[in-house]
Amino acid sequence: MTGVELDPVEIQVLQDLTILVFAPFVSGAIAHLGARLQGRRGPRVLQPYYDIAKLFRKETLVPEEASWVFLAGPVVAFACYLTVPLLIPVLTQYPLPLGYMGDILGGGFILSLAGFAVALAALESGDPYAQLGSSRAMTFGALIQPSILFVTFTVALVTATDLPYFEAAAVRSSLGQAIAPAHLLAAVAFFLVVLSDTGRIPVETHASTLEFGMIDEARTFEHSGPALALLKWGAAMKQLILYVILINVFAAPWGEAGSRQVGAVLLAIPAFIGKALGVGVIFAVIDNSFSKLRLFKITEFMAVAFLLAVLAVLVLFLGAR
Amino acid sequence: MAALGTSPSTLTDAADVIALLVLLSEFAMLRSSLSRSQVRLYGFQSLCVSVLAGFVAATQHIGELYGLMGLSFVLKVIVVPMVILRLVREVRVDVTASHRLGVATMVLLAIVLSVFGVFVVGRLPVHSHSLPILALGLAAAVILVAFLLVIVRNDVVSQAIGFFSLENGVSVASLVLAAGLPLIVEVAFLFDLLVAVVVFGLLMRVHQGRSRTLSTRALDRLRG
Repeated sequence: MTGVELDPVEIQVLQDLTILVFAPFVSGAIAHLGARLQGRRGPRVLQPYYDIAKLFRKETLVPEEASWVFLAGPVVAFACYLTVPLLIPVLTQYPLPLGYMGDILGGGFILSLAGFAVALAALESGDPYAQLGSSRAMTFGALIQPSILFVTFTVALVTATDLPYFEAAAVRSSLGQAIAPAHLLAAVAFFLVVLSDTGRIPVETHASTLEFGMIDEARTFEHSGPALALLKWGAAMKQLILYVILINVFAAPWGEAGSRQVGAVLLAIPAFIGKALGVGVIFAVIDNSFSKLRLFKITEFMAVAFLLAVLAVLVLFLGAR
Repeated sequence: MAALGTSPSTLTDAADVIALLVLLSEFAMLRSSLSRSQVRLYGFQSLCVSVLAGFVAATQHIGELYGLMGLSFVLKVIVVPMVILRLVREVRVDVTASHRLGVATMVLLAIVLSVFGVFVVGRLPVHSHSLPILALGLAAAVILVAFLLVIVRNDVVSQAIGFFSLENGVSVASLVLAAGLPLIVEVAFLFDLLVAVVVFGLLMRVHQGRSRTLSTRALDRLRG
């Protein structure tokens, strides 16, 4: 079958659009499912879209003391979230031209830059809760870094690069590679990292209104209007980006397009959203079956992620003999 | 591409995963605060060791090991945990967390120990045809973490469990090094374990009878 072939650049734009357009949908679906699991009817699946549209129509209020950083923060963060999908395998099995621009660490840096921009904007607002939130987000972000580093080391030891495309190809290459102990450990460690970075239950109550337990959510207290819409949209995109890395690099890198055919690439979109929803179900179930850790116990959770990641590297060192 | 090039077969991978589960359950024992969950984790760990024994028996065609597997399953997965659980239930002292250190610190310390164990054993010029050499390193890590468990937790149940899981680590090591070890030696190991269960049971009772607690902190106090 010889259909129309897409230009790699077009595919890359399509990757970005997929994340941009479907991120609120995945968030909404998880929120809906979570509510259902608690016996509530829950918000509509499309509710995040309505929220974002509503916020874009509202006016922006800026605290008196705040400077331009307050308004620039959300925009910078949003730009960062638009950059990362260029580096990771969202729709294709083969690397796209801009995929070589940055490795897993590069993607991590850009995500951190986004977090940094939001934290700065929160500091500018002068609101104690926003500052508390950004302080916590930075602290726990730093504490989870060692696990991310060791997961990256695992990828580097397996593929001799740290490009996400190659790890996915290695997992796809054989079943043995997919169930190799190092890969399993790294995947579980990364799962815990995603759990922590998307503000899910053992670490933070998602969409809670209780300020004391808040980490990420507290940072956006003073923002309003389009800026808040960008922050909310950005948070949904960050979640979907982390799902992409979890699914398409570690857990299930199957179902992406193997060619540049229009049909194959377009078919990869529903396949990916389906997988993302599958992961979302797991997250929603975890959200509803565990209790939130006390703030000072979060380090224990991170120690577990670190343990798994270190063991992955250890296993690779000895297992290679 | 070193790891990909010498890609080990799926069988050794499976053995590695089981050995890893043994080590991970040791870590879980280290951090779990309830005695009951510690005992259950010990049961799970013993189950993994039994499965590993069965695995070696099947791949190396050593009939005796099936006997060992059955024996260790009955003893370590069923009898020992049941006995300890009954003791804990009879004591009726609520055993709260007895960590001397914070959980995160403990886990980090244990990570350092297991890295040490794995690397030191990795340096040994040992070759095994029954199990991947990684399992030996993991067994060494299990033994070291079990020591840590005994050192940093101060209640009798943890110390007993630490000692028993030490034996699990030794079992895994013996499976790697000497899978064909005559059954009688392995049975002697298990017999040792049974003696230990009796001793620890006695210790638990006497200690509880004297000081109304399972915490070993009370032992520091001198009585005139």
